[in-house]
Amino acid sequence: MAEKMNHIERDVAALSNKPADRLPTYPLAMGVCRRLLNNNAGITYHDWVTDPKRFADAFIAGQKYFDFDFAIGLMDLSVMAGDLGSHVRMDEQNTPFVDDPVIKTVEDYEKIEVPNIKDPKSRSNVLVEGTGMFVKALGSEVITAAFLEGPLLALTQSRGAEFVFKDMYDNDSSRNAVHKALATITEYDKEMVKAFAQKKPAGLVWDYLWGSYSCLGDKEYDEFEGQQKYAGCLNELVVKEGMANCVHNCADLPHLDTQVTKFKSTIYSMAYYPLIPGSMPAKEVIAKGYSDNCLMAGNIDPQGYVRWSGEKMQKTTMNLCNEVVKALKDRGLGARYCIASGCEVPPAMVTKMDNIKICVDTVKQYGTFA
Amino acid sequence: MRLNVLPLGGYMANREQLLSGLEQAVVNGKKAEAARIANEVISGGVKPLDAIDAGLIKGMMVIGEKYAAHQIFLPQVLLAADAMYGALDILLPHIPREAAAKRVEMVIGVVEGDVHDIGKNIVKTMFTAAGFNVHDLGRDVPADSFVSSSRSNNAQVVAMSTLMTPTMDSMKATVDALVEEGLRAKVKIIIGGAPTSMEFAEEIGADIHAVNAQDAVAKVKAAM
Repeated sequence: MAEKMNHIERDVAALSNKPADRLPTYPLAMGVCRRLLNNNAGITYHDWVTDPKRFADAFIAGQKYFDFDFAIGLMDLSVMAGDLGSHVRMDEQNTPFVDDPVIKTVEDYEKIEVPNIKDPKSRSNVLVEGTGMFVKALGSEVITAAFLEGPLLALTQSRGAEFVFKDMYDNDSSRNAVHKALATITEYDKEMVKAFAQKKPAGLVWDYLWGSYSCLGDKEYDEFEGQQKYAGCLNELVVKEGMANCVHNCADLPHLDTQVTKFKSTIYSMAYYPLIPGSMPAKEVIAKGYSDNCLMAGNIDPQGYVRWSGEKMQKTTMNLCNEVVKALKDRGLGARYCIASGCEVPPAMVTKMDNIKICVDTVKQYGTFA
Repeated sequence: MRLNVLPLGGYMANREQLLSGLEQAVVNGKKAEAARIANEVISGGVKPLDAIDAGLIKGMMVIGEKYAAHQIFLPQVLLAADAMYGALDILLPHIPREAAAKRVEMVIGVVEGDVHDIGKNIVKTMFTAAGFNVHDLGRDVPADSFVSSSRSNNAQVVAMSTLMTPTMDSMKATVDALVEEGLRAKVKIIIGGAPTSMEFAEEIGADIHAVNAQDAVAKVKAAM
């Protein structure tokens, strides 16, 4: 067993498939950490997502309280759509979401423009600056990463997924219009990547949500996101700008061959849906080789942080650690799996902060290779 | 005497050709084509219920099977649904009252605080294809809207969905409201959406949890 490591030593060992003292862990606790601010009285979601310092402070407070192995700057999935002109509803304690998309007709696809991400009022700017602040504060302690919506996700948020999916194949005109909007959003993503790179995070995590066999097949996903002119060039840009290219996809039945293998992802975060046929548990993901060249991450049910007792959280985490360690050993791998939550830990007021702590502490105890 | 030879696309079509045409229009996601054939069904004297059962529903069943087998995906399903609704809009007003009354009344919506409705719309489509009369309340639906629609439509099924954790409480609020208004015993309550589970359904007093649209239809049919 390796000597006790600090967070970065462990992360680097896991990323490079070297022996580590234990599995790394990062329950995706982002928005929920706003509850640790203001002397644990918390702040509203609006205040958290519109002020870079408060955004960063939640990550810093979360790291201090939970002792994670990573820090990844997910805000919410309406940042880009909002800056493209959609109306974003912000409830006090609910994740912000688009309630009035900017693209209302097929003609509107061509009207969207890359926003000015340097405008301090834009949430793109809040996200970039806030990411920079927590990277500066935590970068010497843990591996940090920016978080960004992929082009198709940002488009579906700006139009409504149902409309985008229909427009893809309704007729040639609507199909071309979808591609024009994706081209615009890809340029927006490029600007964001370059802005994030200035803040020096170790990596950038894409949310490529629609690479899911419940939503799109290989052909459809390749045409509308996977191909070179969209995700392909964005992935390359991330690496060119000196960051590790990472992907998060919490949809069921993700396109692993594309998003892990073809995209050459450094870290890949995914969820597990035991009720859905074909959804892969961690041991299967590892056995099929997806951890061979990528640090895979998953897959505790995010609802567990809300609903489970501490005992159940501990037992579930322990079981996952055992499953993962065995599968990694069988495959001849090092610590190539990060115990995480598949999707964001629900940022609700009813989420049990103790369960996040229990998850992390259980990995420390049972995630070893002894 | 009604014609059994009918105009279709400039040609004369019989009943079987019309039904097959409707099925194919749905399978291929051609809304305008589906609507045009539906009009020919009416003008040609074919029973609208036959056109729905042996044309539209048959087409949606093909779509459902192909989707479950991952041979087609959401874009094709959504376009097929559009085609089905396009024809239904024309056919439903012509269904005899007594036949319409036999359809199971269902109220469906995304609960208050949530606007993610793509899953709900797929579920609605599959229930419509299965012969339910679905009253879609849309998204961000307050509990009292579920109550009032259940009452006014004499609903036998209430279906709710949410994709977000914070709005799961709205499902409980809706169940509680149905209890308070004395409607609970009259309806089967089904819930769905990524964060939900059968355990949660039991916790809030719902009857059924489903993981996808076909699972939902099968479970509700079994429970009726």
